[in-house]
Amino acid sequence: MKPARFSYAAPTSMSEALALLAESEDARVIAGGQSLAPMMNMRLAQPELLVDINRIDGLSGVGLDAGSLVIGAMTRHADLAGNALVKAHAPVLAYAAGTIGHYAIRQRGTIGGSLAHADPAAQLPLVCMLLDARIDATSSEGVRTIEAADLFETLFTTTLEPSEMITSICVPLLEPGHGWGFRLFNRRAGDFAEVSAAAIVFNREGEAAVRLALGAIASAPFRADDLLPEFDPQDAGWPTRAAAIVAEAAPIEDNARMPADYRREVLQALLEDVLRDAMRRA
Amino acid sequence: MSSAEIIGKPLLRREDRRLLVGQGRYLDDLAVPGALHVCFVRSPYAHARIVSIDASAAVEIEGVVGVFTGVELAEWTTPLRMAPAIEGLLPVESTALPLDKVLFIGDPVACVVARDRYIAEDAAALVEVDYEALEAAASFDAAVADGAPLLYDDVPGNLVSHQAFSSGAPENILDTAEIVVEAAFHQHRVTHAPMETRGCIAEWDEGQQRLTFRLGSQAPHPLRSQLARRLMLEESQVRIICPDIGGAFGQKIALLREELVVAALSRHLRRPVRWLEDRMENLLAAVHARQESCRTRAAVSPDGRILALTLSMDVDFGAYCFYPANYMARVVAMILTGPYRISSYGYDVKVALTNKCGSGPMRAPMAIASWVMEGTIEAIARRLGLDPVAVRRVNLLRDADLPYAMQTGEVAGDITPAQCLDRLLADAEYDAFRKRQAEDRERGVYRGLGLCSVVEPSTYGSAFYKAAAIPGSGHEAGWVKVEPSGAVNASVGLMGSGHGYETVFAQVVAEGLGVDAETVRIHMGDTDVAPYGMGTRGARGATAGGSVLLLAAQAVRRKALTIAASMLNLNTADELQLQAGRVQRRLADQWSDTGVTLASIAHVAYLDPLRLPEGLEPGLEAHRAYDPPPMTYSNAAHACEVLVDVRTGKVTVERHTVVEDCGRVLNPMIVEGQQHGAIAMGLSGALLEEVVYDEDGQNLTGSFADYSIATAVEIPPMRVINLGKPSSSTPIGSKGMSEGGVMGAIGAVTNAVNDALAPFGVVAERLPLSPQYLRSLLRGKT
Amino acid sequence: MIVEAYERLPIALTVNGRSYDVTVEPRRLLSDVLREDCGLTGTHVGCEHGVCGACTVLIDGRPARSCLTYAVQMQGASITTIEHHGASGELSALQQALHERHGLQCGFCTPGIVMTMQAWLDENPEPTEEGVREALSGNICRCTGYQNIVDAVLVAAGRQADMRKAGK
Repeated sequence: MKPARFSYAAPTSMSEALALLAESEDARVIAGGQSLAPMMNMRLAQPELLVDINRIDGLSGVGLDAGSLVIGAMTRHADLAGNALVKAHAPVLAYAAGTIGHYAIRQRGTIGGSLAHADPAAQLPLVCMLLDARIDATSSEGVRTIEAADLFETLFTTTLEPSEMITSICVPLLEPGHGWGFRLFNRRAGDFAEVSAAAIVFNREGEAAVRLALGAIASAPFRADDLLPEFDPQDAGWPTRAAAIVAEAAPIEDNARMPADYRREVLQALLEDVLRDAMRRA
Repeated sequence: MSSAEIIGKPLLRREDRRLLVGQGRYLDDLAVPGALHVCFVRSPYAHARIVSIDASAAVEIEGVVGVFTGVELAEWTTPLRMAPAIEGLLPVESTALPLDKVLFIGDPVACVVARDRYIAEDAAALVEVDYEALEAAASFDAAVADGAPLLYDDVPGNLVSHQAFSSGAPENILDTAEIVVEAAFHQHRVTHAPMETRGCIAEWDEGQQRLTFRLGSQAPHPLRSQLARRLMLEESQVRIICPDIGGAFGQKIALLREELVVAALSRHLRRPVRWLEDRMENLLAAVHARQESCRTRAAVSPDGRILALTLSMDVDFGAYCFYPANYMARVVAMILTGPYRISSYGYDVKVALTNKCGSGPMRAPMAIASWVMEGTIEAIARRLGLDPVAVRRVNLLRDADLPYAMQTGEVAGDITPAQCLDRLLADAEYDAFRKRQAEDRERGVYRGLGLCSVVEPSTYGSAFYKAAAIPGSGHEAGWVKVEPSGAVNASVGLMGSGHGYETVFAQVVAEGLGVDAETVRIHMGDTDVAPYGMGTRGARGATAGGSVLLLAAQAVRRKALTIAASMLNLNTADELQLQAGRVQRRLADQWSDTGVTLASIAHVAYLDPLRLPEGLEPGLEAHRAYDPPPMTYSNAAHACEVLVDVRTGKVTVERHTVVEDCGRVLNPMIVEGQQHGAIAMGLSGALLEEVVYDEDGQNLTGSFADYSIATAVEIPPMRVINLGKPSSSTPIGSKGMSEGGVMGAIGAVTNAVNDALAPFGVVAERLPLSPQYLRSLLRGKT
Repeated sequence: MIVEAYERLPIALTVNGRSYDVTVEPRRLLSDVLREDCGLTGTHVGCEHGVCGACTVLIDGRPARSCLTYAVQMQGASITTIEHHGASGELSALQQALHERHGLQCGFCTPGIVMTMQAWLDENPEPTEEGVREALSGNICRCTGYQNIVDAVLVAAGRQADMRKAGK
């Protein structure tokens, strides 16, 4: 289980990295390598050129800018999970990052890498959908901002151009008082989710709203706000009712190893917990 | 420490230090200058004819030495013909690499030899094999169906083995019984997945005409015999050396084809050749295990007594036989009735060859037996509305019944099933659990507690292996040498892979000889050094190996004391003993030091033999062989407590308690560690692991992401209580252990889940107990 | 600038504070280079796809799967392997606890566990059993059933706390 040959470059500047991506027919960006390297070891991925962005300064870290969290693409999961700004302004993101893989995996894996890999069962694509994150993709042509909803095309496929790389993720701040829930269902600690769900509940003066995102059950994570029944923050039974309604209506892809009827049942259980968590925290 | 009390102490392991600091030496850690690396080209088809193999592009790659196929290997090796004289078992033959047909996904068809593994893999990708796909028989039912594709022309209906047995007219009793309880048990395919994959390094010495073959083997001597024979060499021309082994669990016993090919290529190329299996190869194509379906029928009395029992068992074996195909199933059928008094019993066991990786023994090859027996007991309790404990008690063997000859002729002697169950029910807080369970059910929380009594066959002497037609003997040999300086070396023909033998056997030799354990060094795994033995398998290592080393050490002690008596001018050694390497003499019931040490005795024995008593040979060593009884039996009672989320079907194991009697415990720390490991392997298999083939024979579990082994999160806290009733049939008093934990865990966790699901009226009869499967049972009922 | 696929690039690897001059193709895995080129065979390869954890080393102080890292990426990085622990002749508190609690059997997964859990303990000096189990879940052990490893990590944490107190 050894990778096929590839050429390698470790640019120290963005312009250099972007030039490499622009020039090469078959280049892949490597950040943490926690998804790409296994695929390369199994020769399921055989890029001609690996562009290693670990040596480019300024690609990692979290800042606040104009009402948003700005997260560098090279920010590692463990740093995201432990970051005070993220914990304060997007606790669901910090929490979800802390559930990715295992301790050692979280030390290497990056948010940009996770989004670009576009595993429908992964945590960060789901939470970015939930939070209406905007992703900055940079190429030698300039920077393009992509709504999370427009990034994930299908299984392991994004709308990024081959010459583009994710440079930062912008997460609009949620106002204090929102509540969140995030759960994933897997059989074994650290495994990818069989079903995942995340929700945000807003409960302001006379105005209540819920956002919901679902993962692992389709070829890309998706928002399911419109499947929810009208939110009644006073109704303790709402999560149970809403879970049943959403699970019934959610489009779930069937596959031989995990039939849709089973995932629907798990989804319903998960939703009940996620919505309850979010209401409790609101 | 008095040397008389060394056995039974929890001595810390002496092998730990090197392993903890990264100084262990596993196979791939050995540097062999100039060694070539191989990579096998493997079949992507479950069943196909090999039309042609074109390696012309592969050999063009710089660094490639050659590509070899079954046709060439057939010139250098003999085929394996598995043809023991067992009624109902058909012979099966296989060559080093397939000549004309592949039989499963991962079947090796060619071997690339190159400068390093990277290049070998590059080249393997370029070997073009033209296959003509054939229909696959990828399950027991598909294999035995009318018109099924045949794997071997001379195995009609793919039914390689069929045995039936009956004693006490069970069919008659079942036909006329008022109450007949039926139960089914489907065990899935799993694999050993040792953390260190397989591999080997072959060095042919052209000058010596001798092969040095390094690999992790549980049974170096039988492997040497087989390798020599298949290479058409003498056993004196083959030396097996086992470095540290990173786990084996039964996967590293038989000589498999890759190893034979590497050895043959080293001889052919006159170069060292090495192979390290990668994880995908290990999961797809090493050895699988345990795909068995069982059905039982029990005639019972209204109070739950079993009047007659029959077992029918279908085994989905896979494509290749490196063991007699009935081997594992036979043990299940032989020992099924375990701790129960059942006077009428019969079985019907069928083994089919299928287009999957071949099967072999895996830690507790008979693992399903306890689940089947205990699951049958549970089914009886459900049917009769009785407490499952009551049904166990009414059938359980009591002291007065022992030794008990099962209907199959197996004799359970020193077992304590009733005592273990009683102790378990107290320690697992059975009654308190039932109360908690009832309260939790009220609030929609479903807990279950499952019990499983286990009778674990262990030690396996020659009489067993002969009857099972397994090549080799069953005995173990060992030697103990006191060297001229008084240092002690000892050796036995087993090889360990984490068993702590270097520590335990040092304890045994130390006690038998009369020295401190620290002064004893154990040598294993080199066939030039270690005497012949059957190897580590069947929970036999400590009992078979420990017994022979004890006998050898005692023989050396007797000689040492004879010399000491002469050195002290005594006529007899009767009043002498050796303690911590010093000779003591009894005077008026007091032992006092004589000033004679083992070192001084050794000096005389080796360097001053003229001072030896007349007739005594120089030197201070003994070689002994020991053939254990056909079987020893340990026993245990397991209790597993689970929580089932009935919404998702997910099972959480909360704790697992075992009361076990494995006879005299040689090192309680190590024995408990073995029990933990066995329980964890059982739980992991029952809950998570599964080799998945689709109906076309495509294997869907070729990575550790798909073949799911339990982590520290899924394995619960475990508690093990040892009740050691020494065995009367082994010199050392132990009975063999480390497989029973697997047996008990599988049965207990399944019974626990069924206990949790009882309010819904459903019974899980298939493993793994996946959320998906449990939901399919609960659908519409929750 | 670009290292060609067939090119063999000389790099200086810093492992356990020592510099190793090695020549590698871009595709050579760090695990292979540590084991074969540096002769540091304590880092074990169990799956080569990042699941089993046996090959875990520290890269700039943080645990990482060496099978998911190319050696060519490690120019200028500081790598720590199991050979760092015990080089002084003494076992670390964690290694000693693993020894005393019988937290290893075949030992193949042990170096990865020591590397992972030592780093984790440094970050989490007052662990709970649940926390230990979660942190350990990235390392598969086929022999021990984990319980003795978990116990050993908790014992080591306690001893490290005592040492810190004594140091104050």
